[in-house]
Amino acid sequence: MKTMRFVVPLAAGCLALAACSGGDDGDTTDAGPDAASWHEQIEGSPLEVGVLSAEGTPGLAVLQELADGLEADYDGTDVTLTFANTDARPGIEQRWRSGDPLDVDYGMFDGTNPALTVWADDGALLDLRPYLEANDPETGTPWLDRFSPQVLEFMENPSDGGIYGVPSELSLHVLFYNAGLFTELGIEPPRTWDDLLAANTALKAAGVDPIAVTGLFEPYMGMWSDHLWLRTVGYDAARAVLTGGEGHITDDPGFLEGLEMLQQLRDDGAFLTGFEGTDFTAAQAQFFQGDAGMILMGSWLVSEMSDVIPADFQLGVVPFPTVEGGAGDQGAVMAALQEISVAAESENIPLALEWARRLTSVETQTQRAEEIGEVSAVVDVPSPPGIPGIDQVVADAESLEPRDYGIVQSPANEVIYPEIARLLFGEQDAQQTLERLDEGLRRVHGN
Amino acid sequence: MHRAAQRRIIIPFLLPALLLLGVFFLYPLVRTVDISFTEWTRTGSYHYVGVENYTRVVDDPGYLNALKNAFLFTLVGGCMLFPVAIAIAWALNQRIHGERFFRFVVFAPVVLSAAVVALMWKFVYHPTLGLINPALEGLGLGALARTWLGDAATALPAVAFVTVWHGIGIWVVLLSAGFERLPPDVLEAGRIDGAGEWRLFRSVMLPMLRDLFRILVVLWIVQSMQAFAFVFIMTGGGPFGSTDIVGTLMYRVAFERSEFGYAAAMGVVLVVIMLIVAQLVNKVMKRDELQY
Repeated sequence: MKTMRFVVPLAAGCLALAACSGGDDGDTTDAGPDAASWHEQIEGSPLEVGVLSAEGTPGLAVLQELADGLEADYDGTDVTLTFANTDARPGIEQRWRSGDPLDVDYGMFDGTNPALTVWADDGALLDLRPYLEANDPETGTPWLDRFSPQVLEFMENPSDGGIYGVPSELSLHVLFYNAGLFTELGIEPPRTWDDLLAANTALKAAGVDPIAVTGLFEPYMGMWSDHLWLRTVGYDAARAVLTGGEGHITDDPGFLEGLEMLQQLRDDGAFLTGFEGTDFTAAQAQFFQGDAGMILMGSWLVSEMSDVIPADFQLGVVPFPTVEGGAGDQGAVMAALQEISVAAESENIPLALEWARRLTSVETQTQRAEEIGEVSAVVDVPSPPGIPGIDQVVADAESLEPRDYGIVQSPANEVIYPEIARLLFGEQDAQQTLERLDEGLRRVHGN
Repeated sequence: MHRAAQRRIIIPFLLPALLLLGVFFLYPLVRTVDISFTEWTRTGSYHYVGVENYTRVVDDPGYLNALKNAFLFTLVGGCMLFPVAIAIAWALNQRIHGERFFRFVVFAPVVLSAAVVALMWKFVYHPTLGLINPALEGLGLGALARTWLGDAATALPAVAFVTVWHGIGIWVVLLSAGFERLPPDVLEAGRIDGAGEWRLFRSVMLPMLRDLFRILVVLWIVQSMQAFAFVFIMTGGGPFGSTDIVGTLMYRVAFERSEFGYAAAMGVVLVVIMLIVAQLVNKVMKRDELQY
């Protein structure tokens, strides 16, 4: 009872505090400078910029160079580069929610993913369209013209037509292969599913595991089903079923067809020995060590693994193989655009815009391609020398489709990739996988 | 009059502690309960949905799976922890050469960060490049080799083992303190009566330490039910949910799907379950207090 005398008023106070905190106050202003003259309004001030590159990496060194240039050109500028990649996102997003956003940040917008248009819809981001449509002071042409038209759908918000992100780099999901090994064994780069099966057979005969994959990160195993369904079902139809909750996975035979093809790989023993307990870093390293002939991965693979790629390693790259007779998109390539956005509440929007403008310049993008192997969405930027053939992949792509159908940000994440993992691990066959997926998706989507 | 004055004097001394309790425990607790009745958007606006999140929790097979795994983790980890920790503490209580060195060896992992330990063991467990499988094969025990973290049957015990390996030093210290607290005259009397060290350990020491064991078991339950770092780093909850615990599920729901209200409801239900389990264990293990 005595304790209650203290606890009850304290708890009441806490409740009152709780009731007063947080809330629906997402009021933000979208009062950017005049689009025609914003460049003349740049003044030096502190600027906090999100970066994806970790401490000590070549990628960060390039960005630091960019920051140094901005500081030298505008007195009083002090650029802080804040790590804003995956593991840091929860904390960074909490800052946005609490009204303390970074001036420039990654991962805040993707026009192809409904889970990532919400910041723009709620007014937290600056609409960049007026600035992108204005002539660039250096080139005399609109800033927007710098970017490949293929990526525009990633930049635009479908709900209001505004542009809330500019591409810093483009990640393509492609099939990497050990070109030196393929040449030595006389294997053709796999352009079709049959080519892939033939390559598997030849690699196994040579004592090499055909495909490196990680079993400890389910979305990377899911990349295989994502791509197979892209070919056997098509992007829009697959997305509608998987994350849109429209229809059922049993309605389209292409889903089962894709799963059966995946089972075929498993049954053929195509995957890296012990992949079930192999982390993605180790799987990627094993590919570059020659333990496996191929790996399906994003084009960030080369910059991410630059420290472990042997100097004489010959890398080849092709789009995911086409599926003959597949009802889906045979010419599509899955991609992710790393976009930067400007906070509507930034205290120095002109300076933030200037960072974005410089980061997306042909010069900076070329430097990043050449020094750290990043693929660019900026036109006239050469392909990274470390990924020969990636320019052809981009040129031949009929369309770029957003990776993973938005699965990771949706409740379907709890269903789809774990079931794909079960299939790859040999716990169930394709038909059982389809049935379990159907059951799980019906539960998640309530249909 | 005198007692009332005494009480008034105590209040200023209690205030800092109450303030800390309020800021770091009560407020977050109350706020979590508050959040659990809401539905949020990624940008931070919310509306109240009543008990909807709680009804979802009880119907969510993912949550039930995570809860089951959390209990398994507690049980399996506890079985790995307590016999070994008691044995080590008892051994360190004997007069042995190099006692300080052994104490150091046992305690050393505690000072390493969980992230470092998790990454190190991830490589130790690696099926082909790690230490365990090649060692087993080298010893002619290749049949015992497993894809430790990639096998739904072994992943949870493997992660539990690392958790125990990392933290066992703390438990050994606590148990050692318990052994050292035992009255020497009682032990000496046992020895005079002809009891060997094993008999003393089994029939005198363990019963006298029962209260300590009860507290440590409750502590272990609370700690392991909240385990997060090792599971998150080593398996991410996989393969196919076999190591998913409430902490990792909550993290995904909150930070990948931005369903903060639902994640908070999961946390509140876990707190209630932990309180009930701790209370039950406390009751079951409670015996008449020994005074010594």
